[in-house]
Amino acid sequence: MEEKQSQTEKEITSSEKERVPIIRVKNLYKIYKIGTNKVYALNGVDFTMYKGEFCAIVGPSGSGKSTLLNMLAGLEKPSKGEIIIAGKHMEKMNENQLVAFRRENVGFIFQSYNLLQTLNAIENVALPLSFRGVPRKIRNEKAKKYLKLVGLENQMKHMANAMSGGQQQRVGIARALVVKPKIIFADEPTGNLDSKTTMEVLALMRRIVREQNQTLVMVTHDNHLATYADRQFHIVDGKILKIEEQRRRDEEDIAGERESEGQTSCNAGNMSEEGQVAGINDGVHSEKVENTDKGNAARIGKNGG
Amino acid sequence: MRFIDLLSMSMNNLRRRKLRTALTVLGVVIGTASIVVMMSLGIGLRELNRELIESFGSLTAVEVRGNYYYGYGEDNTEPNYLTDEVVRQMEQIRFVESVYPMLETRVMLMQGKYSADTDLIGAPLEYLREIPLGQGSLPEQGEKEMKLIYGNAVIQWFNDGKRGGYWETGELPDVDFMGKPMFVIFDMDKYYQSMGDSSVKAPKKYLVNAAGVVEGDVRSGGSYSYSVYTELETLKNQLKRIFRKNPIPGQPTNKKGKAYPYFIYSSCVVNVDEMEHVSTVQEQLSDMGFQAYSSSDWMEQTQKQSMMIQAVLGGIGAISLFVAAIGIANTMMMSIYERTKEIGVIKVLGCDMGAIRNMFLIESGCIGLLGGFIGIILSYGISFAMNRFQTIGEMMVGVAGDISRIPPWLSMAAVGFAILVGMVAGFFPAMRAMRLSPLAAIRNE
Repeated sequence: MEEKQSQTEKEITSSEKERVPIIRVKNLYKIYKIGTNKVYALNGVDFTMYKGEFCAIVGPSGSGKSTLLNMLAGLEKPSKGEIIIAGKHMEKMNENQLVAFRRENVGFIFQSYNLLQTLNAIENVALPLSFRGVPRKIRNEKAKKYLKLVGLENQMKHMANAMSGGQQQRVGIARALVVKPKIIFADEPTGNLDSKTTMEVLALMRRIVREQNQTLVMVTHDNHLATYADRQFHIVDGKILKIEEQRRRDEEDIAGERESEGQTSCNAGNMSEEGQVAGINDGVHSEKVENTDKGNAARIGKNGG
Repeated sequence: MRFIDLLSMSMNNLRRRKLRTALTVLGVVIGTASIVVMMSLGIGLRELNRELIESFGSLTAVEVRGNYYYGYGEDNTEPNYLTDEVVRQMEQIRFVESVYPMLETRVMLMQGKYSADTDLIGAPLEYLREIPLGQGSLPEQGEKEMKLIYGNAVIQWFNDGKRGGYWETGELPDVDFMGKPMFVIFDMDKYYQSMGDSSVKAPKKYLVNAAGVVEGDVRSGGSYSYSVYTELETLKNQLKRIFRKNPIPGQPTNKKGKAYPYFIYSSCVVNVDEMEHVSTVQEQLSDMGFQAYSSSDWMEQTQKQSMMIQAVLGGIGAISLFVAAIGIANTMMMSIYERTKEIGVIKVLGCDMGAIRNMFLIESGCIGLLGGFIGIILSYGISFAMNRFQTIGEMMVGVAGDISRIPPWLSMAAVGFAILVGMVAGFFPAMRAMRLSPLAAIRNE
């Protein structure tokens, strides 16, 4: 453990130099008026998120974390303060501009997946591309590519409601990724999943975001899940309590975690589970984490749901 | 967003709720069909009236009569005579295509033991060309010999002086227009004098051949059935030859009782280029001091009447389409409530506000299109069924014919209107959908 920590510290220092801020929040307030009372959902928030980072916004319910995410995604207007994303002031845009901004820069993963029930997996993934005016043929190609990436090559033609929660969320992830967004917002992405699938989905998100050097902002109330992020923004009563930075966790940690969780909470499919774990361990030993992990993810996909 | 993608999304949504879509479409079908059928009745009524009037003569013709039948006016000035000069003036009037002067004279026709006292009308060849002939053919252009065209009902006036005419006996007199020539007496004054006074020499009889007989039999009627026609110039020449400088019976004379050196026509037919101009021309002719008549007076009357009927009928139809429009609006509102989350999701995913609005407009427009199209088919069916009962037309107008008529423009307009109604009805819901907050999407239930 000691050794590993020092290794990640080195990584941090090296990446520190090339840190590019992508989200900047300055002195952000959101005040709701309920009757004569003023409720401070956000009470002066300042932070910066960098490109390629996996950030988690953690807090109990009612802490203002969802409000913060909504404002970052331009779904709500701040009462006061600045949000600068990719050099643009979100608080100054009108609704049309915000929609266009989301279309070009943002991917979104929802807690309840929010797939369109009338469309199949490919069409759902291709949907945001159609908003950009991409012709059907091209966008279906891209959709297939991303569905393979999330391990759903066998469920491409399935309608949304004919898939399990884990599969639906994979489609949701593919949909968020297909537009090659600068930032991906995930609002309790694993909130409706069981613990096993939660780990799979989390690992998948993390891996893909790493590979493509995208920024992932995840909102969760689960402190444990938040530990998989590079940085955790703890928010309580509309204020940032602390920002924890931990760059040590890598893919194998999550996989390892999943192994233990699988043993405790999930009895089904233990055999294949073990096989995967073995594969991962091999990967760690040969120091080729990325390659083996790809195979691993594919296998997860097949087993998932 | 591409139009084709918008369209397929809209179609998807319509397909998702088949029954509801079908019911909404049914509303539009009924609305469209009722408006089209009602309109078709109005149009049928108007056209039947028009056909009725047209059967009495051309609608673009104005008949002009000089008001000189009662001699001089009270102020003892010369009345307005219809002379060649006046005819030329009339031809100068705007919208007038041609003027046919008509010269009427009374003649006695005799064949064998039968004779008839009738009007002979001299008219230009152009006028004669409009007469539908049952037998024979028109005289050639520039032909010198005078030939007669008999109206199909003229034969009934022949009688042999003993048994009474056709009306008493019900038998057609044995007169052969085409086969045998006709003896014609032009000098009627002299003829009747000779009948009463044997000292007066009977006027000369002229042998005249027939050119043709108007189509139809005695009973079938028609605008040309009661007169005998001939070409104007040959008639003028004939009269000049017979009477020389003496006054021709029927022609006015000057104050000294002498004949004018030119012919004075009994009437003129002024042909106007289009029906809308008839009343203008008619007014100008009246200003010139002539009495002008046209079927369009009557036409205008019935036209106004049938317009009103059409408006009332159309209004009744419009009410049901209006109800259908409310149905569309209701369906769209329901659809939006149902899809609040979905709309929010696509908004979060970056769907343009305009695209969302257009999607809903296309949906409601499609309901209109579908309803309009089926409605038109239904209307044709209803119209066909109604026309099977010819009596409706006969009862309302008096002539047989299709009472319900759907011209192509009506079916086009109906479909277009149905689409428009659909889109207008869907506009408010579409705006509402567009303004929905994307927050609704990420609210977790």
